[in-house]
Amino acid sequence: MFTIIIKDVTVLSAIGSLLAIIMVIAQRRLSNYGDCKIDINGKRELVIKGGNSLLSSLSDKQIFLPSACGGRGSCAACKCKVISGGGPILPTEKPLLTKAELAAGDIRLACQVKVKSDIKIEIPAGIFNIRRFNATVTEIIDYTYDTKGITFKFADGEKIDFLAGQYVQLETKPYGKVKQGVIRAYSISSKPEINSSLQLIIRYVPEGICTTWVHQHLKLGDTVSLTGPYGDFFLRDTDADIIYVAGGSGKAPIKSMLEHLAVIGCKRKMTYFFGARTTKDLYLTDEMHAFEKVFPSFEYVPVLSHSEQGDGWTGKTGFVMPYFKDAIRDPKNTEAYLCGSPGMINAVTKALIEEGIPKDKIYYDSFG
Amino acid sequence: MKETTQEQRIRARMQPGIISLNGFLGKDKRSISDIISDDDKQLQALSRTPIEVAERMLYFSNASFNAFDGRVTVDDIYVVETEVTRGRMNCPWAHDGFHRKYITSLTNTKNNTTVVWTALNIHLIKEHSFFEGKGSAFRLDPATLVKALF
Amino acid sequence: MDISAFVLFWAAIFTSNILLTNFLGMCSYLSVSREVESSFGLGVAVVFVLTITAALNWLVYHYILVYFGIVYLQFIVFIIVIAAFVQLLELIIERYTPALYYTLGIFLPLITVNCAIFGVSLFLVIRNYNFLQSIAFGAGSGIGWLLAILMLAAIRRKLKEKMVPLGLQGVGISLIITGIMALAFVGFSGIVQIQ
Repeated sequence: MFTIIIKDVTVLSAIGSLLAIIMVIAQRRLSNYGDCKIDINGKRELVIKGGNSLLSSLSDKQIFLPSACGGRGSCAACKCKVISGGGPILPTEKPLLTKAELAAGDIRLACQVKVKSDIKIEIPAGIFNIRRFNATVTEIIDYTYDTKGITFKFADGEKIDFLAGQYVQLETKPYGKVKQGVIRAYSISSKPEINSSLQLIIRYVPEGICTTWVHQHLKLGDTVSLTGPYGDFFLRDTDADIIYVAGGSGKAPIKSMLEHLAVIGCKRKMTYFFGARTTKDLYLTDEMHAFEKVFPSFEYVPVLSHSEQGDGWTGKTGFVMPYFKDAIRDPKNTEAYLCGSPGMINAVTKALIEEGIPKDKIYYDSFG
Repeated sequence: MKETTQEQRIRARMQPGIISLNGFLGKDKRSISDIISDDDKQLQALSRTPIEVAERMLYFSNASFNAFDGRVTVDDIYVVETEVTRGRMNCPWAHDGFHRKYITSLTNTKNNTTVVWTALNIHLIKEHSFFEGKGSAFRLDPATLVKALF
Repeated sequence: MDISAFVLFWAAIFTSNILLTNFLGMCSYLSVSREVESSFGLGVAVVFVLTITAALNWLVYHYILVYFGIVYLQFIVFIIVIAAFVQLLELIIERYTPALYYTLGIFLPLITVNCAIFGVSLFLVIRNYNFLQSIAFGAGSGIGWLLAILMLAAIRRKLKEKMVPLGLQGVGISLIITGIMALAFVGFSGIVQIQ
């Protein structure tokens, strides 16, 4: 009985193993397409192992095309433009493409296209840029008693491509009583010209899970994960005059914009209002005033709402709104960039519209 | 009182580090329904309802929003200030979307009582009659709250 | 079995059509028959795979299973042989004839779990066919399946413009049509009897 079992199992295993060996060899020999290059928007080239779908090849490299069905070819969310190297349109794609897309012939479902040779594709810049970065904390600056500027340097070779004003998401690690990480958004405060690292300005929030972690647990040399860039709050490339208004940690995106303009040069008339409560809440004042020498027409105007006796404050006081009038010379040709709390954004937007600035030229990044 | 499965789920979300850093219960060992009913008795003794209280809180928070979030004196005796931070948070009852993040502090200058609340506090009181457990960072004692607000 | 391979081939197509008399391979038959083009692709793939796996499984059965006396393990062995073969075929086609892969290869994974393939392998053992008969039976069954799915796809194309009661749309009406087609095929059954 025992020998029969042994014999039968052995034969069955032998058949199975033989087939498995054939499959393994075939897989190695036949599915090995070597390294293939994916050219994205003519801007970036990825080298991946061929043989997988375009969708999964891209996600391996941290580029995430939208996909609701997970690559089964039924949601059509992963459509992208394949300029060359994608082969003919497959029967599995046809039902999901519109007549116009079929006629154009270069719109494909990324989950169905297999990468078997070098391939050239085009995807929306927003998606293309969003990636996940591993970064190390290289600098922590105390700007005020509750605000820190933290510089994150990316792992070797990682580069971010963002517009001044956009934000990233920071992922926290578990600490103390917090058993799972959370994700929070912060505007980038460094200029886009520096692409191997970025700086965030983070203000401590009482009971905040992420800010407590940043302020009390994060040390130089720690590694964190960031994703981004996100957001449609960014500097528009026009000749219009600019009014910046920031409150609290809303200084970050505007710092990025100004540093960017300092690099590329800018002749636009710009005025920057910073609303704070007391002198304790002011930071980066010298740095901002220094821009007045960099640009031909720039003024930094910090305004304190609760200036106290004996704090030595000689600048403007109250709310920022009454000071707009002097800064605007042609309301129709003026853009405004606002970053701060919803209360501030609402009040400032209202005041700017009253001054005659077109509503569609007021860009804002609200905390709310 | 023994907690229902629903209450256990809510309790789990009230633990530190889930929604807020130190949670909603502090050192309170009572069940959630006990906390609510004890506070409710206190409130009834003062002949106030949770909705009344919550609406009064919202009134002050809104008043300070209209004043650019700054420190503002309302109705002559209340000094109100609100600090807004980025982001949203959800309620431990998990049924009602997301709530803004702001912290309002109010000082009643007539009787020198100061209370501090968050946007979520207002929701928790209005919808759930929940004033948080004793020892929690944003615990609002009904008696103190009523004293400060009215 | 004392029947010429040639007769068996035709019998497998008409008188004992694998789909219409045994109702095997229904799953992909119902789901793919929405379009004539893809039905044809899948049908050709079935013909190809059926012919080869019939031969392969005949060899495996007579030279391995019978030899070692483990005939009772035929179910497991047939299934892994079919699965391995289909996958191997997919790899080969994808590598060397991309054009064919796009018309035929993408249907291959569907066939791996098609019971018509497994059914044919079992029939040729039960009915004790020789090697040549097995190939003829495999090829015939495949062509019969191709014929059936093409007919259904063609009928469904006509049906698209017709009003079908809501509850019967899709699979419901397809099964009724298949039943009527099967009845029509009964007409062939007097010609030759193979089972």
